[in-house]
Amino acid sequence: MLGASLVAIALVAGCVAGSGGKPAAAPASRAAIEAAPLPSGSSGTDGSTDGGLAGAEPAGGPVTPGQFTLQFQALLGQHTMLAADMMRGRIRNDPDVAQAANAAIGKNTDALGKLFAAELGTDAAQTFAPLWSGHVTGLFNYARGLGAGDETAMAQAKLQVTQIEDKLADFFAGHSHGQLSKQQAFDGVADHINHLLDQADQYAARDYEKSDATYREGYAHAFTGGQALGTALLTPTQAKVTETPSWRLRSALTQLLGEHVELVVGALRSGATDAPDFKAAADSVNANTTALAGAVGTLFTPAAGHSFEQLWADHIDLLVAYSAALAKGDDAAKAQITQGLNGFEARLSAFLSTATGKKLASQQLAKALNAHDSMLRQQVDAFVAKDYVTAHDVAYSTYQEMFGLSGQLAQAFGETVAKRLPVGAAQTGLGGEAAIIGGR
Amino acid sequence: MRVRGLVSLAAEAVMAVTLTACGSNAAGSAAAPARAPDPAAAPARAPDPAADQFKSVRSYATVAPPTRVRVPAIDLVTPPLEQLGRMAKDKSIALPRDPLRAGWFKDGPRPGQPGPAVIIGHVDMSHAPAVFFRLREMQPGQVVYVDRADGSTEKFTVTKVRQVAKTDFPTQDVYAPDLQSSLRLITCGGQFDHDAHNYLDNVIVFASPA
Repeated sequence: MLGASLVAIALVAGCVAGSGGKPAAAPASRAAIEAAPLPSGSSGTDGSTDGGLAGAEPAGGPVTPGQFTLQFQALLGQHTMLAADMMRGRIRNDPDVAQAANAAIGKNTDALGKLFAAELGTDAAQTFAPLWSGHVTGLFNYARGLGAGDETAMAQAKLQVTQIEDKLADFFAGHSHGQLSKQQAFDGVADHINHLLDQADQYAARDYEKSDATYREGYAHAFTGGQALGTALLTPTQAKVTETPSWRLRSALTQLLGEHVELVVGALRSGATDAPDFKAAADSVNANTTALAGAVGTLFTPAAGHSFEQLWADHIDLLVAYSAALAKGDDAAKAQITQGLNGFEARLSAFLSTATGKKLASQQLAKALNAHDSMLRQQVDAFVAKDYVTAHDVAYSTYQEMFGLSGQLAQAFGETVAKRLPVGAAQTGLGGEAAIIGGR
Repeated sequence: MRVRGLVSLAAEAVMAVTLTACGSNAAGSAAAPARAPDPAAAPARAPDPAADQFKSVRSYATVAPPTRVRVPAIDLVTPPLEQLGRMAKDKSIALPRDPLRAGWFKDGPRPGQPGPAVIIGHVDMSHAPAVFFRLREMQPGQVVYVDRADGSTEKFTVTKVRQVAKTDFPTQDVYAPDLQSSLRLITCGGQFDHDAHNYLDNVIVFASPA
């Protein structure tokens, strides 16, 4: 998945020596899960996180290097999914959906601009925003050409996008403290854009399975490539935080849980409208479920991974059944499913609370999960009612809230696992060959 | 999906026909002959949405525990691995009881699962080399095979080899949880402290899935 170019970027970002870091300021973060606050954690062991309370959107003001990179990854991931949704809406000749997705992308672009303003200054943010918006416009135009079978429009849009890739590469290379060459930055930006163009081509060809695979690769690239680009915008000393285990775990869980939100949103909409891309969307949700269960299985025990998968599968089954009930206009089934989800939320939160030695408070976690499921249902309700603006607004918030929740989970998981890990060196020698070994 | 959709559609059509036929019978007189249903009079119900057929994945694939390590570059094929926990006293990793066998830290990831799997072995005994005697010779790019209890094998490529002072052992880099599959092979190295009967360093081989 990770292109050679991005490996190169990551290596450069990680290896070039530079100036010292600036002081890490406490974030003025908004509480993303205010409705159901979990116990407020302390800072991560490396000071990179805020205990998970902040959403992916910056509230303005300074951010720590760890937060900057994490928020950049999460916002880039959200942007990738929203841009793909916008393009698919255009390809289906569904302009209202495309417009609503476009508005959500605008909100995401604003958030990226705020983040860059906090880290790089206002001038940099003002340079970045129109370039970023320009590439979105190019993607929009490409999808419109694709939907209309207008090859001239597609070619023009590709040219537009390529020109902006070049300017974005200048932007990232210029703010990288000499850590990124223009070519490396260009390759990173081009990988992002190519994922979006490719998934659109595949979607237009009705190869939904391949399109969704590319869609997921594009999202994953937002995290790997986002880390490479994001850390290049920091000094090498600042960027070291992204090599710490607690940061890596937080980033990985944010990726998996954010993907869960985006994929479920898509699958529910396709399910509720009985769209032909439903099966591919549902298969992607299953792949994400497998990855999440794998994460729990490795952090705790295989038995825990298995139990988690059963619980999570109940959750997914109920949500998809809700979309089927919507498709059939079956209000009684919807009510029954909503009841069932309440049971799931209690069971999953009890499971996670037990697994983490009560580092996660069961009742509060259940409320947070309830809010999550409720928002997933609200967005698909709105989508079926053709209130696409509300659908996208709620889905946008669901992703943001999951960012906060993933921070809480990562912290609790990390602390729990750390307690059972070995500490220090291994005494694995008795000296019989000391003359040979020590003479190395 | 298309096949299933067609089957579903056919089933629905049959169901619609049956229901319509029953309705005709109920409404008509007992003497009246059964009539074929009029499709125009009773339109078939829309087929169930595809989402009705969905089942979430429930096939958690347990990765089998490791049983053996093979490293062709140093002619290493270990005997069956021991399973190790932690020392109660200082929480360091427990040691293999047999210096000719290596051991896997059983409370961490299994090789091939997400996260760092850790296998340690002695470099020597009192009078002879032990299982990981030649680990210090390993180089980035070399291949490590880990066989598992179910007969499967996971292949890794060495990414780096570090020799570190035990007093500065990188606990976080070696053991801390993340979701990238990886492997660490650990033994002793450096100078031997004859008073403490310990080597001063550890040799750590870091490897990623090939």
